[in-house]
Amino acid sequence: MFENILFFLSAALCIIGAAGVVFSKNLMHACVLLLASLFGIAGLYAVIGADFLAAAQLVIYAGGVVILMLFAVMLTGGSSDNSNKFGIEKIPAMGSTKTYVIAGFSVLVISFTVLKLMANFMKSYTKGELPAFSSTVEKIGTLLVTDHVLAFEISSILLLGALVGAAVIARPRKG
Amino acid sequence: MISLSSYLFISFTLFIAGIAVMIARKNIIAMMLGIELILNSAALNFAAYTRFINNNLEGHLMSLFIIVIAAAEAAVGLAIVIRFFQIKETIHIDDAAQLQS
Amino acid sequence: MSPSINDYLNQFEAHRKAIGFISEVLGFDASGLVTFLVFAVASFLVVNVMALVGGLGTYAERKISADIQLRQGPNRVGPYGLLQFLADGVKMLMKEDIFPAQADRTLFNLAPLLALIGVFATLAVLPFSSGFTLTNLNIGVFYLIGVSSLVGVAVFLGGYSANSKWSMLGGMRGASQIISYEVPVTITILSIVLISGGMSFGSFVETQGGFPHQWYILHNPFTFIAFFVFFIGMLAETNRAPFDLPEAESELVSGYHTEYTGMRFGLFALAEYIEVFVLCGVAAAAFLGGYKVPFDLGNGVVFVEKLGLPAIIGKNIGQLLQMGSFLTKTLFLYYVVIWVRWTFPRIRVDQVMTICWKYLTPIALFNLVGITLWVFAFDGQSIWEVLSHLGGGAHGGGH
Repeated sequence: MFENILFFLSAALCIIGAAGVVFSKNLMHACVLLLASLFGIAGLYAVIGADFLAAAQLVIYAGGVVILMLFAVMLTGGSSDNSNKFGIEKIPAMGSTKTYVIAGFSVLVISFTVLKLMANFMKSYTKGELPAFSSTVEKIGTLLVTDHVLAFEISSILLLGALVGAAVIARPRKG
Repeated sequence: MISLSSYLFISFTLFIAGIAVMIARKNIIAMMLGIELILNSAALNFAAYTRFINNNLEGHLMSLFIIVIAAAEAAVGLAIVIRFFQIKETIHIDDAAQLQS
Repeated sequence: MSPSINDYLNQFEAHRKAIGFISEVLGFDASGLVTFLVFAVASFLVVNVMALVGGLGTYAERKISADIQLRQGPNRVGPYGLLQFLADGVKMLMKEDIFPAQADRTLFNLAPLLALIGVFATLAVLPFSSGFTLTNLNIGVFYLIGVSSLVGVAVFLGGYSANSKWSMLGGMRGASQIISYEVPVTITILSIVLISGGMSFGSFVETQGGFPHQWYILHNPFTFIAFFVFFIGMLAETNRAPFDLPEAESELVSGYHTEYTGMRFGLFALAEYIEVFVLCGVAAAAFLGGYKVPFDLGNGVVFVEKLGLPAIIGKNIGQLLQMGSFLTKTLFLYYVVIWVRWTFPRIRVDQVMTICWKYLTPIALFNLVGITLWVFAFDGQSIWEVLSHLGGGAHGGGH
């Protein structure tokens, strides 16, 4: 009962947020709607018992990625005139009719393909009994340092590289 | 109600929204929002499959790695965007065509 | 799912009987309904009491600052000026609600609400006592870090949407400060997770004892440092002085809430004071033994066995003692936070970043490694247990 309510709320938040990201005219609003969508996904994780994943989603997206996005919007938006020396607008609009028509067609094609692929699976899937909820934190920790230790280490190196790389790329240069 | 099909449908919607954003927008940051949506739909798929099919937490780990990659991608991508803006004073995707003469 | 206030109530005969009675009257199994009602009432209670604490926080801040600066402070409304915060609230409600002409109205409205949501959502896992926790979530502290980062987004949006230069600068400063200081704070909490062996606040507190030498702050030398790292990071995350750069009055008028008037400004202020309380509570639970009472008085067994009280009364006295213990520690830390604000000068923007990235983060990482080695080498014992083993030979380790 309560899980169903949580599921509905999260799914609605998620889908409305995603639709808002598509149709919003304002980049800042799109970022906030993306945050709503990501919160919805965290709720969906919580519904299927992926508690650690839900919290990680909250920590990384709400605390990190969305604020980074907002920062990038601010740092690239502070110009007075609207077009640069190449004659292209500095802050492009969120899309025009042309781009939306192209996107609509591509989405139609892709969605037919994906639905075709999924149909097979949907038919063969039989709904079993869901196992009871149990904490996933210890199990995920154990799996991370036993079976998946290589991926874990590589991702830590990847993160370090990304950190250093981002700092090097974005640093202001003299002259 | 909470079934694999509904999760797949939500994930599908997110994916389509992400694709639409990436194609329709001309703003690099807006396109990165679309990338986030696509990555999240993939992560949601992994978590849903692992819960409803085999229930062995491997999918959770995959989702975690996807979140890690998304964070790294956002950091480096936005750094590139900011640097690009410093050099070219634009964040229009059509202006990022240095290789094309 | 996880232990909560409802499980605590379920252990009493009277509660189960009441559920049975309601089920008979209504003609269906009422346990779900009662669970819902219990949670609703408890959440209502916690949110309102916390709003009161936030209001009294403003009063305490004024009174303590007055004490420190040899002034009187508010003393007209109510006894000792205690009702000053109500007067302030009424004043805020009566004030004109101003929208800046160029403001982004949606985000302008959304920002204070986001701040308040982020703070109130953290209350769900705060351990007031072993029974009165709304839910002892098994990822409690991780959830708390995640949800409270909404405040950073709110600060940023508040700064952006007002379309004023002061607000913009304050919002940028606030967001960069909050996401920077999340790093040392999270690493420090991670080191406590290592010792206690669980991410829930329940496991944090239950592995400590009632006496100071059983607290994690005195567990080993590294945790002693970790507490101060956490405390400094906490001051910065809640935008308190000496890290109140986002709202630096002398530089930025009032920072990210310059353009806010009336109750919207009030919501920001309320969110800030409640967040200070919540993070003080986290510090108390993680380092100062949380709700633990000496001599195990907290679980109420003594009252039941020695004094012959019925179980429900004995247990509840124990809960009250635990709550008192938690609130004493938290309010002491709250006092220290206010004390720090009125004694230290504000630091510069570059110094904020220097402190975070050049000092606190390396220290926190060093602490994490140190605590890992300590837990590995001494099997999770505290320094006192190790010393008593050394001194007292084989029969040591009385605690």
